[in-house]
Amino acid sequence: MQTSLPTSSSSSAKPEMKEKCDHRADCLKMIQLILDGEATDQQLAKVKANLESCQPCIEMYNLEREVKELLTKRMDKRCCPNQLVETIKSKILSFS
Amino acid sequence: MADTKRQFTLTFMATIHPVMSDTPTRDDDQLLPNGDAVEQTPAETPARRYTDEQKYQVFNKEFMPHIDSMYNFAFRLTMDEDDANDLVQDTYLKAFRFISSFEQGTNAKAWLFRILKNSFINDYRKKSKEPAKVDYQDVETTYNSEDAESEHTVDLRAESVSDLIGDEVANALNSLPVDFRTVIILCDIEGFTYEEMAKILDIPIGTVRSRLHRARNLLKEKLRDYASSMGYKEESGD
Repeated sequence: MQTSLPTSSSSSAKPEMKEKCDHRADCLKMIQLILDGEATDQQLAKVKANLESCQPCIEMYNLEREVKELLTKRMDKRCCPNQLVETIKSKILSFS
Repeated sequence: MADTKRQFTLTFMATIHPVMSDTPTRDDDQLLPNGDAVEQTPAETPARRYTDEQKYQVFNKEFMPHIDSMYNFAFRLTMDEDDANDLVQDTYLKAFRFISSFEQGTNAKAWLFRILKNSFINDYRKKSKEPAKVDYQDVETTYNSEDAESEHTVDLRAESVSDLIGDEVANALNSLPVDFRTVIILCDIEGFTYEEMAKILDIPIGTVRSRLHRARNLLKEKLRDYASSMGYKEESGD
């Protein structure tokens, strides 16, 4: 569901760029749906339009994407201890 | 030798992950046949008659590759290594015991996560070492109010959080009440779809969406605290 959306908040400052968004909460919800790959085509189109004309939406999009990326990429992943793997396997074998 | 196994596991997971994310509904009905009662023998389930050999095969090929994800999930829920060990072990033993209600080739990861989450609620949550600092019900009520729902956006900039390190993100996540923590883990860390999360958590999709939304607002508040303690100043805005 990756689409080519503006990545920088300083993207070409067109004259008609909105400085204030009246539907922040609703826009935020749609932005999250898009980043989660759960948006409908209609929602996608709407947010895409906003991201070309609404500064607060661009900033919200960048923040949500950044937070999601922190969670996806920067958190330590542990490996299951080998001993636990061995214990589970041996218990399973003694089951039947 | 262990490393070889681990390597295989990781490769395997990397391979199937995108497939899982893109196919939310294909095997919905296979998660667990009869509601949440994984402990009860599902009497009217069309039990698949696996031979012993097939059981081990399914267990090793479909269940074991998810053990690192399962361990991480258990650790993030319990925040304790011993409890995570016990929880993962219990889950895998249950999975084996009820293997006849699992259909080969369906979404094993979601099936396992659901068993783990149910075990956590039934066996660990009460004795969890997590201090009962926030009553979930309170939080739920607060954030359910129409005001919170419609007006609440956290004033924070992407640049302010981009320098946070993994530990800070983990601490922020761990400080959330467990139900909020859970949806973020399932969605953002494990990449489950909303549909899969609804099945794992036994809640409607709409609740998945709104809980996730609230969880992220809470998380951003925590991240803002970290970011500002690092010296970033947020503009005070609307």
